Amino acid sequence: MDPRIVPLLIGALFGGGLVLSGLADPDKIVGSLRLRDFHAMRTIAVFVLVGMLGTYVLSLLDLANFEVKPATLLTAGVGGALLGLGLGMTGYCPGTGLACAVSGRFDALVTVLGMFGGAAVFIAIQPAIVAPLDKIADYGKVTLPQYSVFVPSLTETNPAWWVIPIVVVGAIVLLLTRPRGRAA
Amino acid sequence: MEELTVRKAPLPWWLGGLLLGLTQVLAIAVSRPLGVSTQFVVVDSLALRQAAPAYAKAHPLIGDKVDAKTEKVLVNPTYAGVGYGFWLDVGLLGGALLAAILVRRWRLRVNTVWWRASHSSVLLRLLVGLVGGFLILLGARVAHGCTSGQFASGWAQLSLSALPFTVGMFVFGILAAAVFYRRVPKFE
Repeated sequence: MDPRIVPLLIGALFGGGLVLSGLADPDKIVGSLRLRDFHAMRTIAVFVLVGMLGTYVLSLLDLANFEVKPATLLTAGVGGALLGLGLGMTGYCPGTGLACAVSGRFDALVTVLGMFGGAAVFIAIQPAIVAPLDKIADYGKVTLPQYSVFVPSLTETNPAWWVIPIVVVGAIVLLLTRPRGRAA
Repeated sequence: MEELTVRKAPLPWWLGGLLLGLTQVLAIAVSRPLGVSTQFVVVDSLALRQAAPAYAKAHPLIGDKVDAKTEKVLVNPTYAGVGYGFWLDVGLLGGALLAAILVRRWRLRVNTVWWRASHSSVLLRLLVGLVGGFLILLGARVAHGCTSGQFASGWAQLSLSALPFTVGMFVFGILAAAVFYRRVPKFE
């Protein structure tokens, strides 16, 4: 089978999901960041919780293809902050920016252009600036169960100790705070 | 005409989130976690290889390595061609376009409701878009991933890196939104 078919299909599901869920809508993203319209935040919470639970189940069946990012904590924080700035300014991220650009939003298209510019500058500064910063606070490609911050004597905890409480508490909070009536 | 109220999303929060979460699980089962931002660097890298081949091919990140013993050129596995990630992003474009048309949300727009509530200049919106986009991708690649690759996929895998990324993203996202969107528009 053509190796492009699988990523095209999964990408299509993802792009379609972004549009149908309302995340590909800068007004929804800004609404959540302004703590007024929580639709995007709740959608993202479900996205994360379902992904976390499903991935854990896959790992039990030995069907999960993990690709854990390196825990370069400084660059993860700084990069997140930079992305957060852009997200708060525009209401877009790389995925939703693409989805909105193709949905007729000209401002998203301009934002995507800016993204190519950011990628170019990244190429330019990566060797001299980012690579050294990566080395500060680099804990390797570790997961929370592998980095037992609370019990240093353990080398690895069962992921269930993380997944079950997070999913259960998350689900309870989402249920207790769910909007009633017309609001969604 | 421009919209003045924020519309409801096509799907309720629990269904849209479920759809996205299941897509993530499918991705991890079939190949690898979702990710979007690397391809922007790939496209730039491919362009650079045409425009400035000497610089590009010798670049520590996007360039090729030479095997010391055989002196064979090892073409960069990530940035020298289009692979899985590229076609995922292409699929994303196609799926988004199809979905937008299906739910009748495809519309030529230059502005957002939240922006219009606080600003009158469309030009400023586009300028902010350009600068914002720049920060988004620069931040994403500095962090080794974006809202899909670091945040969504990070939490799905319980990656340690997702923690500082999430904190940075929300703190500065909330701050930036508060600065650029002072007035609250009407909601549907």
